[in-house]
Amino acid sequence: MALLSFERKYRVRGGTLIGGDLFDFWVGPFYVGFFGVITAITASLGTALIFYAASLGPTWNPWLISIAPPDLSYGLGLAPLREGGFWQIITLCAIAAFTSWALREVEICRKLGIGYHVPFAYGFAIFAYVSLVVIRPWMLGAWGFGFPYGIFSHLDWVSNTGYQYLHFHYNPAHMLAVSFFFVTGGALAFHGALVLSSVNPPKGQPVKSPEYEDAFFRDTIGYSVGTLGIHRLGLFLALSAGFWSAICIIISGPLWTRGWPEWWTWWLNLPIWS
Amino acid sequence: MARYQNMFTQVQLRGPLEAGPPLPPGSFARGNLSVYNYWAGKLGAAQIGPIYLGKLGIASLTCAFLSFEIIGLNMFASVNWDPVQFVRQLPWLALEPPGPGWGFTLAVPLAQGGWWQMAGFFMTSALILWLLRTFRRAKALGLGNHVPWAFAAGISLILTLGFIRPMLMGSWAEAVPFGIFPHLDWTAAFSIRYGNLFYNPFHCLSIVFLYGATLLFAMHGATILAVGRYGGEREIEQITDRGTAAERAALFWRWTMGFNATMESIHRWAWWFAVLCPLTGAIGILLTGTVVDNWYLWAVLHGYAPDYPSTGVIDPATLPGAPQ
Amino acid sequence: MRGHWNSIAVIGGGTAGLLLLAGCEPGAKNVTQTGYRGAGLDQIVDRSSLAKAAAIPAEPYPLPPDGGPTAGESYENVRVLGAVSKERFDHLMAEMNQWVAPPEQGCNYCHNPENLASDEKYTKVVARRMLQMTRTINSRWASHVKDTGVTCYTCHRGNAVPEYKWALAPGALNPHSILGNKHGQNTPDANVGYASLPSDPFAAYFEGKGNIRVASSEVFPSSKHVVSIKDAEKSYGLMMHVSSALGVNCTYCHNTQSFRAWNLSRAQRGTAYYGIRMVRNINDDYLTSLASVFPANRKGPQGDVYKVNCTTCHQGVSKPLGGISMIAQAPSLRGPAVEPAGAAAGAAVPRAFNQPGAMTGKNEPAPIPARP
Repeated sequence: MALLSFERKYRVRGGTLIGGDLFDFWVGPFYVGFFGVITAITASLGTALIFYAASLGPTWNPWLISIAPPDLSYGLGLAPLREGGFWQIITLCAIAAFTSWALREVEICRKLGIGYHVPFAYGFAIFAYVSLVVIRPWMLGAWGFGFPYGIFSHLDWVSNTGYQYLHFHYNPAHMLAVSFFFVTGGALAFHGALVLSSVNPPKGQPVKSPEYEDAFFRDTIGYSVGTLGIHRLGLFLALSAGFWSAICIIISGPLWTRGWPEWWTWWLNLPIWS
Repeated sequence: MARYQNMFTQVQLRGPLEAGPPLPPGSFARGNLSVYNYWAGKLGAAQIGPIYLGKLGIASLTCAFLSFEIIGLNMFASVNWDPVQFVRQLPWLALEPPGPGWGFTLAVPLAQGGWWQMAGFFMTSALILWLLRTFRRAKALGLGNHVPWAFAAGISLILTLGFIRPMLMGSWAEAVPFGIFPHLDWTAAFSIRYGNLFYNPFHCLSIVFLYGATLLFAMHGATILAVGRYGGEREIEQITDRGTAAERAALFWRWTMGFNATMESIHRWAWWFAVLCPLTGAIGILLTGTVVDNWYLWAVLHGYAPDYPSTGVIDPATLPGAPQ
Repeated sequence: MRGHWNSIAVIGGGTAGLLLLAGCEPGAKNVTQTGYRGAGLDQIVDRSSLAKAAAIPAEPYPLPPDGGPTAGESYENVRVLGAVSKERFDHLMAEMNQWVAPPEQGCNYCHNPENLASDEKYTKVVARRMLQMTRTINSRWASHVKDTGVTCYTCHRGNAVPEYKWALAPGALNPHSILGNKHGQNTPDANVGYASLPSDPFAAYFEGKGNIRVASSEVFPSSKHVVSIKDAEKSYGLMMHVSSALGVNCTYCHNTQSFRAWNLSRAQRGTAYYGIRMVRNINDDYLTSLASVFPANRKGPQGDVYKVNCTTCHQGVSKPLGGISMIAQAPSLRGPAVEPAGAAAGAAVPRAFNQPGAMTGKNEPAPIPARP
């Protein structure tokens, strides 16, 4: 794997958190580091277990393979491998792999002398995953509340878990999360488009400067958040989407067990209406 | 260890407000309605305004206002003009499309869906006029048409939901009501009626692009902030004349996942993910009820619906002597 | 530092206040698995939300043995229970007195004390029809009430008129005006669990034979299955009622992978199927037939008689009265031995699936207490 033309001067020693110089090297384009080794081990083990568990199942159809968590009767204990035990070990591997991947990102940030924004952002994704497979199951007292590892089977889990609250769209945190997802999508479209429109102007015209970008948004909607601000805004919107997604499922069950529409009766019953 | 991570602006500059590049002849004047706002400046640009109004802008805002008023006044009337109940029940209130009995009749009596048609007409007009406005603004500033086309993708989803699909189905009743909770009910009922939308492959794609767009914005936003100390937010400059910010940003992802975009191509990834979300969504909506009536059964037909152990329960209606 | 603690206190207090305001349920839960593991088929109920166990009244006096002269031989104008022994008939009258009649009126609520045989009080005519109805429920509708059966108490609970009932909602003032017209929906209504779904599912489905099934049985569209999304909303509204009435969620009966598929549904869905038909039968043949008997003050705002829905008996629990059968103390309510509606269907449901855990080769797990 060839280096990029400018890459050699950045490939310097240092910045590791653990392991000193021992794992401070690259494999092809990949930086390794101590956490790269951990990631590789846990990710390989988890993937291998997924394949092994799949081989014990009825199908190799990738849409249908599903590795399900244990029955609720196992509570927070360990289950036999074929009855949810695989799911438990795969979950452990996944959490270890995700976490060490985040720490490897920290090492790369240190090596490149850049901020920790990416691993920080990635932490929200890990939090959302851990909410689903650890925090909520732990609060409800059984690993069986985790979602199954399968492409369409996890959608069935989403559907059924949603209908446990009769109409999940009324979950206020879900409303926030969905709104943040949509707004993030819109903001990303506009940001990507604005940069592309500046560097790809109509034929024969010069590439435009950020003054033009600002003018375009000021002209159309009266405000341009600016070149730095859009990245802060985008990061905030995207992380909010992930954060409220995690919250919306953590509260479903542990903090509310009836239909979500009924939750809104607190608003109807406020003393201010009479 | 604690160091500035570029999350908020620490020092805000104050000088003459930016007027923006000159506009071509025949344009409205931008006016000088602009101010500095300290709190806006904490996150991004402190300057608010000026806005370019223009003929299309005025027409669009007028239509948007009419649509908003029609919806709001209909909701207000539905609670007998009771201001307290209007606020209390607002999330539940709606302006409903015509019932199934009206088919795709173009002019339904006002109280039975005509107001909904009118609100929809004005909302659509507002969106399309605004779309034309973005084309004009881009042209006036000599920019490409990437923003207008992205906006058009979003409009296509709205039009599919509220007009194109109802037209193909021959019934306004298929359209989405205006209302906070009611449109959520519509969404859920739509999935139930058509046998679980999660098995609609275009819905799957749309969700993938939605989550993907969010992931991309988190990755991109975080990367640019991380290389902010090298001037990473000056993306156009980094695209046309690559600097160390772009190099470090690229290498971060190359070393992390073995692949990197460039300062320009990341914006192409972003644009496509964001634009394909409503486009694939619109296709999924368009096929539902017109081409496929039960997505779960369609998934069974094509072998991608997981099989659960049968409960052995039989539909009582199919048994002899059962009450219907 | 002090400032920090202050802000922590403010944030903590604010969060707690919001939680209280929103009526959260942070307490211990009862959890039950209702289908294949990992599919999200569970019942989770906060113990504070469980419907209170209903009090079962003591028998007025022990059930006398059968035999001896019949009620028909002993009394005049006994039209339904004529074949029942006089002793048991008297016992049932005492029970009805306890279960239904207001205490201050007792027997006189229905009877003229001067002439017990007289039908001059409308309540007696109603009571006779209700006896016929109860016997029909216990015989023809055994597919729904099983061996548990029902008695007057299942609905009445000591009230002259059952607490939970429905009548046609006051209609929109003028369908051609938007004033006060919500098209039967978009109102926070307990009937449909406070969603903005069509809020009167009863008139559509519990009277007559409205089609509840909205998902198609075919993959592709056909002119044989033209069902609007509006119909789906109505059907959803009915299901909100059923769930609320039984204190369960959708996955008590359905695997929502396909609401329609029966081989994914639990046996309870079959029971509910018969329950819905039973309710229609009660409303159409027994309650509506009393329209000329009930006085105006016993009718709804539209002048129709009050009718039953799932809540009338269930009152927030999946088995009315917690599944306690009272039929043994009122055997004359069992009704004639007839083939129950859809007996074949009942037999087709394997017993094992009354225990949902059987699907995964396990018994239904006992409720697991959650961490407090």
